[in-house]
Amino acid sequence: MEQVIINGIYSGMQYALIALGLTLIFALMGVLNFAHGQMYVLGGFVTYYVYGVMGLPFVVGLAATAATLALVGVFFEFVIFRRVLKLSVREESTMLVAAGGALFLESLVLIIFGEKHRGVPSVISGVWKVGDAYMPYGRLLVVAMSALLIGGFILFMQYTRQGRALRALAQDREAAQIQGVNVDNYSMLGFAIGATLAGLAGGLLVSISGVNSGLGTWISIKAFIMVMIGGAGVVPGAIIGGFILGMLESVGYTVLPGGETYLVIFVALIAFLAIRPQGLMGKPWG
Amino acid sequence: MYFETKNISVNYDQVRAVRNVSIGLEEGETISLIGANGAGKSSTLRAITGLKKIVEGEIWFDGTRLDLLPPDRIVGCGVAMVPEGRRVFPFMSVKDNLLMGAFSRRDKASIRADLDRMFTRFPRLKERISQAAGTLSGGEQQMLVIARALMAAPKLLLLDEPSLGIAPKLVQDIARSIVSINRDDKVSVILVEQNSRMALSISHRTYAFSTGEVAIEGRSEDLRQDDRIRRLYLGGEL
Repeated sequence: MEQVIINGIYSGMQYALIALGLTLIFALMGVLNFAHGQMYVLGGFVTYYVYGVMGLPFVVGLAATAATLALVGVFFEFVIFRRVLKLSVREESTMLVAAGGALFLESLVLIIFGEKHRGVPSVISGVWKVGDAYMPYGRLLVVAMSALLIGGFILFMQYTRQGRALRALAQDREAAQIQGVNVDNYSMLGFAIGATLAGLAGGLLVSISGVNSGLGTWISIKAFIMVMIGGAGVVPGAIIGGFILGMLESVGYTVLPGGETYLVIFVALIAFLAIRPQGLMGKPWG
Repeated sequence: MYFETKNISVNYDQVRAVRNVSIGLEEGETISLIGANGAGKSSTLRAITGLKKIVEGEIWFDGTRLDLLPPDRIVGCGVAMVPEGRRVFPFMSVKDNLLMGAFSRRDKASIRADLDRMFTRFPRLKERISQAAGTLSGGEQQMLVIARALMAAPKLLLLDEPSLGIAPKLVQDIARSIVSINRDDKVSVILVEQNSRMALSISHRTYAFSTGEVAIEGRSEDLRQDDRIRRLYLGGEL
């Protein structure tokens, strides 16, 4: 029992981190970033390369990951989405472009890092024993770092001038503009933060489960599940959605045979969305 | 002139919503733009804030040409707007809404002082300081957006239909606030109103719009007695 809860918290924390970036970009720009999982994968590979291959400290690997993904986020917003959003009148255009971005990043990762599954030496060894349950220190580190990043993100959004501007932009674009918020710059900032969060999640997780170039789509799907559970574009919703999925997974893997957990999760999700399409904390559309 | 639009025109798609409109205001004045729905007064205001690009003409304020600037730069020139339909940031606290009003300013100490002034001026907002703005009543939201605009420390305040959808008793409060902002804070005001009676009673001069053009202009005092104004702009109102 304790083990199920601890596994759930471990997964939930990392999932919340993944979902946050996705929901931020959606809230700011109305863009469903299908490339989110690929950003996670790229982050995993950057950490793998800097920490695993070059042998620099893990923290340096994460810093390099954050820098790389921030640049990727800026590139995506500035080169792709800004233009498409200005030109198109249909939401599908940004979805198609995002899907294209996902394929592009996936191919790029495949070319640079190859198709092999890559892991890195564990960052710290040892196991923490709580009651009858075990939590390796490596996983504890992931939980702690994720919590730190989530907390830092919330504080940034809540208490800084830039965070306020991002929230204002998400809530009323035009009203934010007349207060002096530059929509282009802040969309770029938001996209960079979203991509960085995805990349850092990948960078943290590479120390536990490794990474391979094909992982992206699966991560994106999970991120979308979490955001749908919690409510699109709502920060607390993303965090709650992450923890719910983490717990469901943990319970499912314990009581169900291997591949059936996600079958049950998807069926439950369909039923849930039929009753509450806006998710737990989302605004009803329309 | 302190502020003026020189023959500006605004199009929506192919339709001309504002045609050759020239309005002006001297420092310290309150002018009002009245007229029916679709007469072009709100479009004129949106053009001033840069939210709508003009296709002809120029807009000047205190020596700066506004129509060449993007909307986010215009507030920095001292022009703040109270948009139509209130438009608070619904999920942000009252305090954060006000701080957003001061987004274009960097002087932390005077922002703090202005925040306190707003709470003195609108005590209701202080009672609801950490409440989400979306949960306020319509009248409170209107006070909040006026206070938010004032937090930009504007020299020129634009108000787009501040009485729309507000209980009649509160309309008087809002009118009083506008007069006080103009007289006590020395802020020049451009007021767009469908409530012509209110607009004529609190402004120095008035421009009456009809089908995208200025049809009648003059001192509000005189226009209150003007036959055409009485028939076309005051007649329909109870």
